[in-house]
Amino acid sequence: MESLITAAARALEAGDPLGALNRVALRNDAPSLALRGIAMAQLGDLPRAKTLLRSAARAFGPREAVARARCVVAEAEIALVSRDLSWPAKTLAAARATLEQHGDLANAAHAGHIEARRLLLVGRLDEAERTLAELVTCPLPPASQVVRELVRAGIAIRRLKTKDARAALGRAARAARQAGIPALEAEVESTRLVLDTPAARLIARGEARPLRLEQVEELAASGALVVDTFHNAVRQRSTVVSLGTRPVLFALARILAQAWPADVSREALMSGAFQARHVDDSHRARLRVEIGRLRAKLRPLADVSATRQGFALAPRKTRDVFVLARPVEEKHASVLAFLSDGEPWSSSALALALGSSARTVQRALDELARANKVQSFGQGRARRWMTPPVPGFPTGLLLPGPLLKT
Amino acid sequence: MKRSAAEIVREYGPFAGVEAVHGVTYDGTHLWFASGDRLNAVDPDSGRIARSIDVAAHAGTAFDGRHLFQIAEDRIQKIDAATGKVLSTIPAPGGGGDSGLAWAEGSLWVGQYRERKIHQVDPETGNILRTIESRRFVTGVTWVDGELWHGTWEGEESDVRRIDPETGKVLEQLDLPAGTMVSGLESDGADRLFCGGGSRGNVRAVRRPRRG
Repeated sequence: MESLITAAARALEAGDPLGALNRVALRNDAPSLALRGIAMAQLGDLPRAKTLLRSAARAFGPREAVARARCVVAEAEIALVSRDLSWPAKTLAAARATLEQHGDLANAAHAGHIEARRLLLVGRLDEAERTLAELVTCPLPPASQVVRELVRAGIAIRRLKTKDARAALGRAARAARQAGIPALEAEVESTRLVLDTPAARLIARGEARPLRLEQVEELAASGALVVDTFHNAVRQRSTVVSLGTRPVLFALARILAQAWPADVSREALMSGAFQARHVDDSHRARLRVEIGRLRAKLRPLADVSATRQGFALAPRKTRDVFVLARPVEEKHASVLAFLSDGEPWSSSALALALGSSARTVQRALDELARANKVQSFGQGRARRWMTPPVPGFPTGLLLPGPLLKT
Repeated sequence: MKRSAAEIVREYGPFAGVEAVHGVTYDGTHLWFASGDRLNAVDPDSGRIARSIDVAAHAGTAFDGRHLFQIAEDRIQKIDAATGKVLSTIPAPGGGGDSGLAWAEGSLWVGQYRERKIHQVDPETGNILRTIESRRFVTGVTWVDGELWHGTWEGEESDVRRIDPETGKVLEQLDLPAGTMVSGLESDGADRLFCGGGSRGNVRAVRRPRRG
């Protein structure tokens, strides 16, 4: 490789993007453009980085397939970090295949990790896991090992497998120390923090207490009847009654579970589930219908029995009933949960990740913005949303060493 | 033009702590290679690193009988092989796009990678005396028995080729196996050509075909 390019690449690898820029700032040949792109990405100027990497890919030309593919991978990582989830996954897959064909397994793995991170972010856990499993195995540089283990930890956390998550984080921490990149160690630590801070609230017999993820996992295995407000479902071990599309039924189930083993008056049920101020006969008729529907839905798990003043939940195979709720319940909590990763999101990416319509997300964002809970920058399609700056979640994962190798 | 597969007779490395080989040369006893921030001398029989000099070493390496020449960034450093001290520097003709260095007939020969050129340079001043055009990216240059050889890399393929120093015409070509990069080229003065292996961090010895 060329002398100055080698010197600049070495500077980048040593975590000195300014040193790299000093060497290639005035050059416009393909490798210089690529290095400038990566340096700008590390300095946080993602739009500029994207433009530079694109021109680099063009400048490399068709005969330098591997160099081009590396530019595509770098651009995909920038898209991921800027939460541009509409980025074409096919282009990345093609680049990954090219790198594999030419024996650049470390960068092929890097491409696979980016794809897996994207899938994890949008909640497609099975596909994320499959993508990781498919990667051709090769000894990876430590920085790449960190990324792989963080993705594994992320999948395990979403699946409520905290032991697997802790094991993956342990491996990630070891690899991060080996890589000697402080930003990576910080990233591992902030993920570990997720496991150690309360993830939910447990409400039972009218009292609430915070729950760590591990305790949530124990609860899921305990055989108790759980009304789960994260998934809008009622479940007991593997029997799950999903009420995601029936908000009224879910509201009734939750009110009944919170009061269990006591019963709940008709008035309380009506005002809680129908948001009715003045209860009239039509509400009473509706309550009868809805309770009937809930009874049918919950049949495998519990009965809803009538009492003198209202109704009570009667679980079939357990003596424990819990409500699992978010640590802080507020409107649009799921939107805030995604934004709390500290990255700028487009409203369309959020809609994709949440599986809801762009309009719904936009309304939620506007409301949250009025309450100063989120902020936006940019206009039109380039507009991005963030929670007000919180510490943690560095972008240290961005473009680690292997992409620079000749 | 004669074209054949390169016959690899020996492989040195990969060496611990060496990420890539950027240039190679031979001082009659040791095989030297540049690895970023070091020049390493390898005993060609044992294949072990016998000695290292801490010096910026980003591309081609050459030896004139007393001094090592080493490209770093956009300069060529002249290094006392005995003490490892940098005695002087001259500007590299490619301004940092340089990738291959040889010593012959009182001149330095420098490859300019993407420009596909080989420059003959005055080792005192750095002035370009003349320029030979190649058809592919130049990754290494060496002279042996009046033959000018250079390494190439383009389209994910590498070869070493002997060219006519007057016209740049390819006279002979030895193809390396697919995916094998040549970074740096040096002859041992006899029938071996040492080829740097780029990011594989190794050096291959390729048999130089006998003439006649």
